Amino acid sequence: MTAIETIPEKLGIAEPWVEKGGVHWLNPGTLSVRALTAEMNACHARFVTITAYQLPGNEGFRMEYHWDLDGRLLGFPFMLSEKSIESIYDLCEAVDWIEREIHEEYDIDFAGRAYEPLLLREGDKLGVNLREEVAR
Amino acid sequence: MSYKIPMGPYHPALEEPYKLDMICEGETVRDVKLHIGFNFRGIEHLAETRNYFQVIALMERVCGICSNIHTLTLCQAMEQLAGHTPPPRAQYIRVIVAELERLHSHVLWAGIAAKLMGFKTMFMTCFEIREKVMDVLQAISGNRVNYAMNRIGGVNRDIEDPPSILKMVEALESDMAHTIIPIFTTSTTARSRCAGVGVLTHEKAISCGAVGPTARASGVGQDIRRAAPYAAYSEIEFDVPVQQEGDVRARLLVRALEIMESCRILRQALAKLPPGEISTGDAKFAFITGTATSRVEAPRGEVFYSVSWKENARNPSRVHVRTPTYVNMPTVRWMVRGARLADTPLIQASIDPCYSCTDR
Repeated sequence: MTAIETIPEKLGIAEPWVEKGGVHWLNPGTLSVRALTAEMNACHARFVTITAYQLPGNEGFRMEYHWDLDGRLLGFPFMLSEKSIESIYDLCEAVDWIEREIHEEYDIDFAGRAYEPLLLREGDKLGVNLREEVAR
Repeated sequence: MSYKIPMGPYHPALEEPYKLDMICEGETVRDVKLHIGFNFRGIEHLAETRNYFQVIALMERVCGICSNIHTLTLCQAMEQLAGHTPPPRAQYIRVIVAELERLHSHVLWAGIAAKLMGFKTMFMTCFEIREKVMDVLQAISGNRVNYAMNRIGGVNRDIEDPPSILKMVEALESDMAHTIIPIFTTSTTARSRCAGVGVLTHEKAISCGAVGPTARASGVGQDIRRAAPYAAYSEIEFDVPVQQEGDVRARLLVRALEIMESCRILRQALAKLPPGEISTGDAKFAFITGTATSRVEAPRGEVFYSVSWKENARNPSRVHVRTPTYVNMPTVRWMVRGARLADTPLIQASIDPCYSCTDR
């Protein structure tokens, strides 16, 4: 078995990978993002990015975490009903800027970390959903 | 006693605005804080208000240097959602334009690096050669900066006379092989200003998720053209230059070697350019509901696009762009720690930063 094939079993996920839209997707179910990150670190995957989607109405947010493993792009979607998810910054240094950016743009809290302005300036108010502000 | 020295957001060493707050002890930099966002234009949000033609023109303007790469990555993602596969000739033309863009970007960077080394004659030489690369791009596309080459399902313009373009590329290759490459690889000035300066260790390059020449100069060998081939790269032979030292000189050498590899790719692509159509010819597109991602090896490293669409919609519902400088720029903090203050302009420039890309 290749490294990618062993990942679902290591994570305790029964569902297989689904290849769609250029990504190998795996539904993490109830798995925490921190447990996922620990496994990605263990298999030497390279963190690529997080993409945040605001869902319509009060459906919350979808957060897609991407890693690269030997040229294959892996994707893990997390659904957030609350505006909060655990930070993985202490496990994965590369996530710093994108967590800060998503916090600035969507007001999503990455629990367990401190923020400094990234795209905004010092003194600007952090933790405002800028998209909703623009719509207003 | 430590003191803080700001560099930027407007500074002669910076091509675009960003800011480094450096904590120094004497002439030694102990730490640095990076500030970006001075070029933030809200392009991702703006993309949601543009239809499938307009969004291509918009994303071409994310960056003034690797403009083509942005439309290529976007179009590849949109093609997945619209169910279109570009014909083989279009795939080769995409490779040709992408490599010409890499050449002009690397030569531009070489000029800027030379200027920061105090090597002004080399700066002028590089910019003279860069003009010739832009002449080739103009001969193909009619444009020198935003080439407007990519469309959903192919490209907008054909290369009607490949031998004449090949001749221009061979002249360029000869110019570079006799100037940029030997000077940067052997000159005492380049060596003394760059060797052992601004080291990014292999471990830090990995933990920061660095990409492109910045990562390859620290022994991380990934190149998306090889690892996850797109367009016609799977049919072309090329090497991926990797250096182990992680210093400014290693980053310089990687780019110098990549210039020669780009010329090698261009020669093959122009010789093998298959006959046929340059696009699927469609003017209207129906997108399925879903998300598609695409990755391309830009001159500075991997560009990532995630594009979401809803069926029957004319506008994307989300476009997320992760550019290479976005992940490479945080590595500057580790490169400048312990460096001499006078070396910091060159060190920060050695990642070939693009702030417009980073801020979007």
